[in-house]
Amino acid sequence: MRLQKFLLRYFPPGIALEYSQRGQVKTKHIDLLSLTPRTDIAELAEAIANKEPLVTKNVVNQLVESLSKLQAKLYDSNKHLFYKYKTLKAHLLPLTNVAIDKQGQRCITGSYDRTCKLWDIDSGQEVHTLEGHRNVVYAVSFNQPFCDKILTGSFDKTARLWSSETGECYHTLWGHSAEVVSVQFNPQSHLVATASMDNTARLYYMVTGQDVAVLEGHTREVVSLHFSNSGQQIITGSFDGTIGIWDTRTAKREGLLVGHSEEISNCLYNFDCSLIASSSMDKTAKIWDPRTMSCLTTITGHQDEILDIAFDYKGQRLATASGDATAMVWDVHSNCNVVAVMQGHSEEVSKVCFSPAGNQLLTASLDQTARLWNAETGICSQVLSGHKDDVFSCCFSYSGHVIITASKDNTCRIWR
Amino acid sequence: MPWNRRAVKSLDGFFTMGLLSILRKLRSSPEKELRILLLGLDNAGKTTLLKSLASEDIAHITPTQGFNIKSVQSEGFKLNVWDIGGQRKIRPYWRNYFENTDVLIYVIDSADRKRLEETGHELEELLMEEKLANVPLLVYANKQDLMHALPASEIAECLGLHTIKDRPWQIQACSATEGEGVKDGMEWVCKNVKKK
Repeated sequence: MRLQKFLLRYFPPGIALEYSQRGQVKTKHIDLLSLTPRTDIAELAEAIANKEPLVTKNVVNQLVESLSKLQAKLYDSNKHLFYKYKTLKAHLLPLTNVAIDKQGQRCITGSYDRTCKLWDIDSGQEVHTLEGHRNVVYAVSFNQPFCDKILTGSFDKTARLWSSETGECYHTLWGHSAEVVSVQFNPQSHLVATASMDNTARLYYMVTGQDVAVLEGHTREVVSLHFSNSGQQIITGSFDGTIGIWDTRTAKREGLLVGHSEEISNCLYNFDCSLIASSSMDKTAKIWDPRTMSCLTTITGHQDEILDIAFDYKGQRLATASGDATAMVWDVHSNCNVVAVMQGHSEEVSKVCFSPAGNQLLTASLDQTARLWNAETGICSQVLSGHKDDVFSCCFSYSGHVIITASKDNTCRIWR
Repeated sequence: MPWNRRAVKSLDGFFTMGLLSILRKLRSSPEKELRILLLGLDNAGKTTLLKSLASEDIAHITPTQGFNIKSVQSEGFKLNVWDIGGQRKIRPYWRNYFENTDVLIYVIDSADRKRLEETGHELEELLMEEKLANVPLLVYANKQDLMHALPASEIAECLGLHTIKDRPWQIQACSATEGEGVKDGMEWVCKNVKKK
C-alpha cells in the first residue's frame, strides 16, 4: 500500500487518502467534523498519522499543509460581505424555488410562468429556458455533484428530466395524479424521486425515465423527501403529520415516525444519516433515531408554525424557521439547547439554510428581505434588501461565496 | 422572546403566505374553508376588491404581476381568495390556478365600455374550462361610483349571463373603493357553495 495523494473536502471538512494497493487505486475517507478555526493543526496531523499507517512521517508536512487549507476555508467564509451582483428579470410571473450547481457557476429558477430557467451566475445571462411543463414549475434540482442534469416538478402532475448543457428534455415522468412539489436525485445519480399532493412519492430510473415504484402509505399530501447518502433509504414528510422511511430497492416502508400533531413542513437527514430532523405546523421540531425509529428530542420554543429546517454541513447544528418571524439555532448534540435566536424579520420566516462553513445562517422572509446572521450569536450581520415582494426561497453556493434569492416579485437576485 | 405574530395576524385580518402555505391552500381545504378565484381584465379592480374585503388600505395599488392571496372570514367560512393578475400577457396563465376552485368571481370595470366585449370574451372562455365546470359564478359590476358606469342589469345583458344554465350565477353591483356591494356579493358566495 502506498499513499499517492491527499484529497480535500471543504464542507464538511474531511480528507481522503488516495492510495494504491496491488495496482488498484483506492480511497479512504476521514471526516474531520470537529475541525474549527481554533483547532491545533500540528496536533491533529499527529493524531491522524498515529492512527493511519498510510500517513508516514515524511508526508506529515504535506498533511499539515492540507489541513491548514481546510481550516482557512472555515475562517474566510465568516467575514464576507455580500452585495447585490445581478437581478435576473426574465420570468413573467412569481418565482418558486431555486437551486445552484456545485461549482457556483449556474443556478436554476422555477416559476409560475411554467418555465424553469438556467442562468450563468457570472454574466447574469439566461443559458436555457426549459419549456414544456403545462403548469407552475415548483420544485427544481440539480444532480449534485455532477450537475449535468436538472429535475423539475410541476403542478401539471409531472416531473421532467433535462440536460443542463443543452436544455433538452430527456424524459417526462408521469404517474402522479396531483401536483409534484418536491424532487430529488439519489446521490449516485441513477434514481430520481418525486413527492406529490396525491399522497404518494414515486421513484424513476434516471436514464430511462421508467417508473420504478410508488411509495404508498401516507394519508395526506407528501411535501418533502430526501435520500440517504447510500441512496438505499428515502424519507418522506407528509401533511398527515408523519415521516415515512422507505427502502428504495423494495419500495417498502420500513418505518413511520409518529409524534407530530400537525402537518410536516420538512424532514432531513444529518450529514452521516445517523439522525433525522423534522419540522411541523405544531410549532415543534423533532430529532429522530432512524435505527430505533424513536424520537430523541422535541424542540419547543417557537410561538408559531415551523416552516423550514436545516442542518449545518457537519450535522451539529439545526436551524428552524418559523411563522413567529424568528429563526433559531439548536445544538444537536447537547439535547438541542438553544444556541441563538434570530430576531429582526417583521414577517414569517419561510426558508432557512446555513453557510457551508456553518457560521452564518441565511433566512428568507415574507418581509421582502433575506438576512444573514451569525449562527452562534444570533446577531444579524446583513440585510439583503431590494426585493419588492415576499422572498420565497434562498440558497448558498457550495463555496459560500454566492447567495441566490427568489421572490414573488418575479425576479431572482444574485449576491456575492 | 420572539414577539407574538398571532396578535398581529388578527389585527390585519388576513395572512400573507410563503410557498409552503401556498401548498396548504392548494387542496384538501377542510370543511368551512373555500377556495375563491378572482379573475377579470387588468384594471378591473380585483386587488382593490381583495384589499377591501380584508379591510386594508387601498391607496397604493399597482398592477398585479403575479397573484395575491388573502384569507378572510365571512358567514362562518374561511375564504381563501386568490387574486390573479389580469394583463393580457399573463391571462394564459390563469389556468395555473383553476384546480379545486369552489367559487369563481369575475370582476368587471363597469365604466370601461370599450372593453366590455373583450371582458365578455374572456369570461366566455373561462366558462368553457373543464376544471371550472359547475363552479358557481359571481360577477362584480365594479366601479359603480364612476359617472359613466353601466348598471349591473345592462352588463348582464351584454355578457349574456342569462344563457348560463350549468351553474348558479349572480351579478352584483359594487364599488370596491367605497366598499359598497362587496359584502352582499360575498354573502351570495357563501350561500351558493356547491359541496359544503
